[in-house]
Amino acid sequence: MRNAFRIFPLLIALLLLSSSVTGEVPLKKEGQEAFRSSVADDRKDEAGQGGDGEAEDEFKDDFEDEFAEEEPLIISDPFEPLNRAFFWFNDKLYFYLLKPVARGFRVVPEPARISFSNFFSNLATPIRFVNSLLQLKIKDAGNEFSRFVVNTTVGIGGLFDPGKKWAKVRKKEEDFGQTLGWYGVKPGFYIVLPLLGPSNSRDFLGQIADGFIDPLNYIFDDRELEIIALKAFEAVNEISIDKDTYEGIKRQALDPYAFIKNAHTQRREGMVKE
Amino acid sequence: MAKRARFLLIPIIFLLLTPAAAPGSRGPTDQVRETVDRVIELLKDKEMDSGKRRQMLSSLIRKRFEFRIMSQQVLATNWKKANPDERDRFVTLFSDLLENTYMERIEAYTDEKVEYVNEKVRDDRAIVETIIVTKTADIPIRYKLVMKGDEWLVYDVVIEEVSLIRNYRSSYREIVMKDGIEGLLARMEEKVKEMNETSKKAEK
Repeated sequence: MRNAFRIFPLLIALLLLSSSVTGEVPLKKEGQEAFRSSVADDRKDEAGQGGDGEAEDEFKDDFEDEFAEEEPLIISDPFEPLNRAFFWFNDKLYFYLLKPVARGFRVVPEPARISFSNFFSNLATPIRFVNSLLQLKIKDAGNEFSRFVVNTTVGIGGLFDPGKKWAKVRKKEEDFGQTLGWYGVKPGFYIVLPLLGPSNSRDFLGQIADGFIDPLNYIFDDRELEIIALKAFEAVNEISIDKDTYEGIKRQALDPYAFIKNAHTQRREGMVKE
Repeated sequence: MAKRARFLLIPIIFLLLTPAAAPGSRGPTDQVRETVDRVIELLKDKEMDSGKRRQMLSSLIRKRFEFRIMSQQVLATNWKKANPDERDRFVTLFSDLLENTYMERIEAYTDEKVEYVNEKVRDDRAIVETIIVTKTADIPIRYKLVMKGDEWLVYDVVIEEVSLIRNYRSSYREIVMKDGIEGLLARMEEKVKEMNETSKKAEK
């Protein structure tokens, strides 16, 4: 049962990936010109500027990158109608089920809820560890390992995060989707998964692969219901800590679907580059 | 879902707003830091009536943000096509929209800490990198600033690798393609009106 459950999505994902198209089509650098001219206009009536000469090459390159006008993101979204349907579904799920439950869950004192969050995060260490190794980020992998040891012992099974407080070792999110990206796999096309939210063909494959590393799947091997219950609990807990982020987007975005699509894509690409 | 969208959790965009202080050798980070302290002070002042606080924050925001450059970058090629009147209307609406949005977010502020990681300056541009330390996560935020007179003004905010400008640019471009600039302005107007109504309700 379990195996069938795993292999089916894997096949789909492989199909998706094999048909992956390039996620970005660079357009001409429209923003840059606009910026230059606008700044130039504004500077006409100002005194001269003091450029501080040539910085080191390395620093300069860094700067060029930082200040380079980014290309507008063109996100491949061939299944937009379907995605919008799932987006609508997730939206309703959030407002009518998850949010009210999470609001009720706030009767639990915040420190306890933060501890739950730490616990889940600590449990997922193997995923970050393995993917750091796969990306040859040995130092990050070492960090994850030492965090896991410290937080599991001193942090009482991961309920607390002394690794961050004392050792100043910060968690770095890594997953198989990012690993694929690191090896040059393009994001492919955008997908909105029911329950799981925004993703893309590359990351979807990554999510399935990470399922093989996720300790939860081994602790509760073959007991789908418990896993689903725990995942739901984790989601409710996270939402109870969160400060109405999604509501904020919904209220201000002219098109929340497009807003989240773009933000999610930017964020994933940023994470791959790190 | 909510977790993924944490990048909007950040009211701290506002923490950039510095009072117009004496010019001098205040670098971008100093200006940011001053503001952070000031805004946090405002937010912690439980005595103050919320309408008055909003007013104070609002005037600070308008001094600190370079909404015109922001608007230009958001509209990009469409900026060139727009006539002066449309441009002005867009700048006004866009600044109202941003202000409203983040005013709501900022009031969710509790006791996050702000750390200053790095600063880069070249000519009239600067980047200030900060990290907001919340109870469960560290959120990296980069401010991009441009020098106007003695003040560093914000023209983009990059939260967890998500650039505000790029984000608006792509979704607004789609709307302009479908309904033209007029259509976009109309939708923005509607949105701003809607938001004003809800915030009025909140104040009552």
